Amino acid sequence: MSPTAVLHSEWIKIKSLRGTVGSLTAVFLTTVAITVLVFATVGRAESDNADAEPLFGAFYALNFGQLAAIAFGATAVSSEYVNGALRISLSAVPRRALFYRSKIAVVGAAALGVGLLTSFTAFLGGQAFLGEDGIGLGHTGAVGACVGAGIYLALMALLAAGLTALLRSGVAVLSVLVPFTLIVPFVIGDVAGGAAQFLPDRAGQQILHEDPNGVLGGWTGLGVMALWAAAAVAAGWWAVRRRDA
Amino acid sequence: MTSIDVQQLTKEYGTTRAVHDLTFGVRPGQVTGFLGPNGAGKSTTLRLVLGLDRPTSGTATVGGRPYAAYEEPLRQVGALLDAQAAHGSRTARNHLLALAVSNRISPARVDEVLEETGLAAVAGRRVKTYSLGMRQRLGIAAALLGDPAVVILDEPSNGLDPEGIIWIRELLRRLAREGRTVLVSSHLMNETATFADHLVVLGRGRLLADTPMREFIASHSEPRVRARTTDPARLRAVLARAGYELTAVDGDEGRWAVDGARAEEIGGLAAREGVPILELADEEASLEDAYLALTAASAEYSAVPAVPAVPAVSTAPAAPAAPANPEAGSAGSAGSAGSAGSAEAAGAAEAAPTVPQPPTTPTKNPATPETPAPRTSRTSRTSRTPRTPRQEA
Repeated sequence: MSPTAVLHSEWIKIKSLRGTVGSLTAVFLTTVAITVLVFATVGRAESDNADAEPLFGAFYALNFGQLAAIAFGATAVSSEYVNGALRISLSAVPRRALFYRSKIAVVGAAALGVGLLTSFTAFLGGQAFLGEDGIGLGHTGAVGACVGAGIYLALMALLAAGLTALLRSGVAVLSVLVPFTLIVPFVIGDVAGGAAQFLPDRAGQQILHEDPNGVLGGWTGLGVMALWAAAAVAAGWWAVRRRDA
Repeated sequence: MTSIDVQQLTKEYGTTRAVHDLTFGVRPGQVTGFLGPNGAGKSTTLRLVLGLDRPTSGTATVGGRPYAAYEEPLRQVGALLDAQAAHGSRTARNHLLALAVSNRISPARVDEVLEETGLAAVAGRRVKTYSLGMRQRLGIAAALLGDPAVVILDEPSNGLDPEGIIWIRELLRRLAREGRTVLVSSHLMNETATFADHLVVLGRGRLLADTPMREFIASHSEPRVRARTTDPARLRAVLARAGYELTAVDGDEGRWAVDGARAEEIGGLAAREGVPILELADEEASLEDAYLALTAASAEYSAVPAVPAVPAVSTAPAAPAAPANPEAGSAGSAGSAGSAGSAEAAGAAEAAPTVPQPPTTPTKNPATPETPAPRTSRTSRTSRTPRTPRQEA
């Protein structure tokens, strides 16, 4: 079968569903809107704070945008598990490896594109409110952080996509990942060293720090997160390959 | 030749054996009805043919190859498994477009099948706004997308209105005429009788029958002749000498039936003896009766019959057992494959005015407990239970 034809087909599936388009749009809108709100209101006051980390702070809204990224990854895959839609998909593309690879590629590419657009827009937009206190792309690590944040969003979507293929339910995945990403940072906070820093979101966010503390550096942290996402995608493949449709 | 070949196919889910050592073939140029009670393994078999489920053992091939080996399978095989499977939030056009693009089928073909299935006007609506009948049409549109040589439809008449049922019937006949291989599962017997040439019948995961429909009906029912005469007493005497018994058709003055006989025999006897016969017709068993006789023992879900099981007179358009022209039924009008056959077969030259008999409705001829029901031949009445599932359908 033609891989490009299957990729195109998967892209049509994603852009023809309100849920996937909506969550993808929400990644951008949520992140940018919250960034604008925060920086337009308390931004200047915070930037005076001596402890403030201007680069990490610039991506505060990523905490919310990532939820939309998770929702996107989950809904893109879970749409195949509604009422046996997978049977239709697999009768059109019976080579499951090709089907799954194409699905994951399209989910990853869409999330990466929107993620990069989101991270740069949010960074530049937020800093614009800070006037002379604002930092630009010339700031140390700023470009890396913007690119990293885009990758971070894509990896979150892939993590959710892989888990959804494994569990065959978007609801199950959302109810695991959303509390996990919302609660873990608050519960564990900054105090936890050790294992917690290897969790996908913590590891991935190292790239946002100008001067990452802890074992993982920026890119190695993102690498650890990529391993998590790869593990989830591999687990999803195991399920898609092995199970009856 | 693109046929479907199932060889010693077995599928187990845990300890349940859904399909057991199944071997049959589906040939091109005819409509093959795929019958069986609920839980007989029809849908499982179709999923195995499409490579969606993996067989525990055995093989299923289309045109000699496993389904998954096709480069662009939709161009070879079109299937409707479940009309509900199209995602409700997608429009019909996008649903079909995603399928078409994956197999490099031209987007223009999407509009063609939408037109053909009568969905063109609603193609931009989300599938969740569709009625069951519209979803069924969408599923059929998807099956036809690649102009495939093999068409597999699971319960295509579900939810269709009367026009839709006639449409699907004619569509199936046309697809077969075009030389395609058409496999249609159903548990609506009267409906299946209108389009099927050949039958594959499952029960509890095993093959019960793989025969032409006419043979199937003939071998699972006993012949019976209906007669009208002005002189029943003489006819009775003539028949008695030949070993037949003339029985009254209940509630209908002047109408008689002879069990175990064919019209040509009775016509000949009456003519030789000069008994006036006003009307003589073979009464064919319906597919439904034959099917129920066969599957009574193998229904997974049986209910206790609430009514005397069998109407005395068959109502379905039934295939002629001794047709003058065997092709007439299948190649001709899709609707009434064979209901005209009774008059034809009865047209023995000796028989007095032979009036083509419209199918008699059961209300006109209700079965009474005393009337022996000839078509129950294979099984006793009490074991003929799977009425409820059929009526639910």
